[in-house]
Amino acid sequence: MRQLLTGFMCLLTAAASASAAELRPPAQVTAGTAFSIPAGGSGKATFYLYGPAQVSKRELDLGSEIQVQAEEVERAGLYTAILCGSSGPCSSANFYVRPGEPDRLTLLVHPSRVPVSAANAISAVAVVFDALHNMVLTPVPVKFNVSPKEGASISQTRNSSNGIAWIRMTSAPKGGPAKLEAVIGKTSEVRVVQQVASDACNLNIRGGWVARRFTVETAPVRDCTGNFVPDGTVVSFTKIDDSGKTTVDVPIKRGIAKVEMPVSGSARITAASGVASGNELSVGGAR
Amino acid sequence: MKLTLRSKTLRYRLRVATALSMFLLILGGIFGPPVLAEQPLPQVQLNADSLGPRKIEDLTEKSISRDYALAWQNLSQAVEQNRADLLDAYFTGLAKDDFTQLIGDQKNSGAHIRYLDHGHKLEALFYSPAGDAIQLQDQAQLEIQYLDGDKVIQSEQVTYHYIVLMTPGADRWMVRDLENAPQSKP
Repeated sequence: MRQLLTGFMCLLTAAASASAAELRPPAQVTAGTAFSIPAGGSGKATFYLYGPAQVSKRELDLGSEIQVQAEEVERAGLYTAILCGSSGPCSSANFYVRPGEPDRLTLLVHPSRVPVSAANAISAVAVVFDALHNMVLTPVPVKFNVSPKEGASISQTRNSSNGIAWIRMTSAPKGGPAKLEAVIGKTSEVRVVQQVASDACNLNIRGGWVARRFTVETAPVRDCTGNFVPDGTVVSFTKIDDSGKTTVDVPIKRGIAKVEMPVSGSARITAASGVASGNELSVGGAR
Repeated sequence: MKLTLRSKTLRYRLRVATALSMFLLILGGIFGPPVLAEQPLPQVQLNADSLGPRKIEDLTEKSISRDYALAWQNLSQAVEQNRADLLDAYFTGLAKDDFTQLIGDQKNSGAHIRYLDHGHKLEALFYSPAGDAIQLQDQAQLEIQYLDGDKVIQSEQVTYHYIVLMTPGADRWMVRDLENAPQSKP
């Protein structure tokens, strides 16, 4: 009877040791860092690790520490470790893997082309990640540098909130590329914004007869700060004569807009682009 | 005569093709992957009252709620059925890479996750000035089942906090990043 009882107790102990292995992972782990989980008990068991972007499963002997590889915890977030002995219920524990140090930036800059002197027209949004592409949710100072082609650079620092820092800027009065850079520590990301001339400021037109054809052309078209208005911008020429009103739309090419207009009798010609208009030409009869 | 012979041959080929198709269908039904019922669309509530710096339009707000719900529906099905192709519709960038890797690991290990989705409370945190990215905080009510093969080895009811980054695609909002926030409480 005593032998029977002893045997029964031994069996119970073995079963308990194979099933009651308690998992005690660290409360917090840094992404991409190997660590170990102490697991008591004895016998064989199956270890499962479920994470935000990975699942692993392996057989192991209880009584020693469970080694978790760096590759198994590369993504930040909540992980669930489960240990199932050969008999009895499984035990489980959750732990949080936090992102590593800020190391990478994603920089969104809009627009890529902007008119000069446009208030708050440029926006830059920086998203902060660690080396393993986990978004760093703790506040990080992000420095934004703007370097125009001519003139001094401007810097502003913003703390990220939930991994995002952003800034809004007014474009420079002079056209040309502006370099926009976001910096954290030794890491930086650069985007280039092309600052182009704004709308035409005023138009100056002149005309003349060439081989019995009347040609009208603008002087080089500039915005109000002296930048050349980009080619392709449309200038509308309007002629009013005895036959009525005629309008021709002409795109600017190499800085000027030019058109031939048939004129018979006297006529008045004007030009406009956007809200800008120019001088009026009075033309006599055909030659 | 020639025509009759040709039509008889064609009819014979058609019968053989039909029989073969039926056989393959039956074989697929027996040995193929089990076809699971479609996951229901989870409830999503979006609060955008304190959103900035850009204000959100009503239509955009509705689109984001709808697309986020569809994203979770697809995610639940994708991890349940080990089908990474289901992620294409509503996931992109890091989020898609992560869940594709998760599904790859599930296939290799034989272990997998099942999400029973009980709804999401979204709070809009940041809408970029250009309207090309929105960040949300999600308080998700989930039942997560951890399985080895078909056997559920562990199950838990959780409230997870996610930080979500969504960007607009051609005709919908896509989940670009989905990260557990530290205040998650199992």
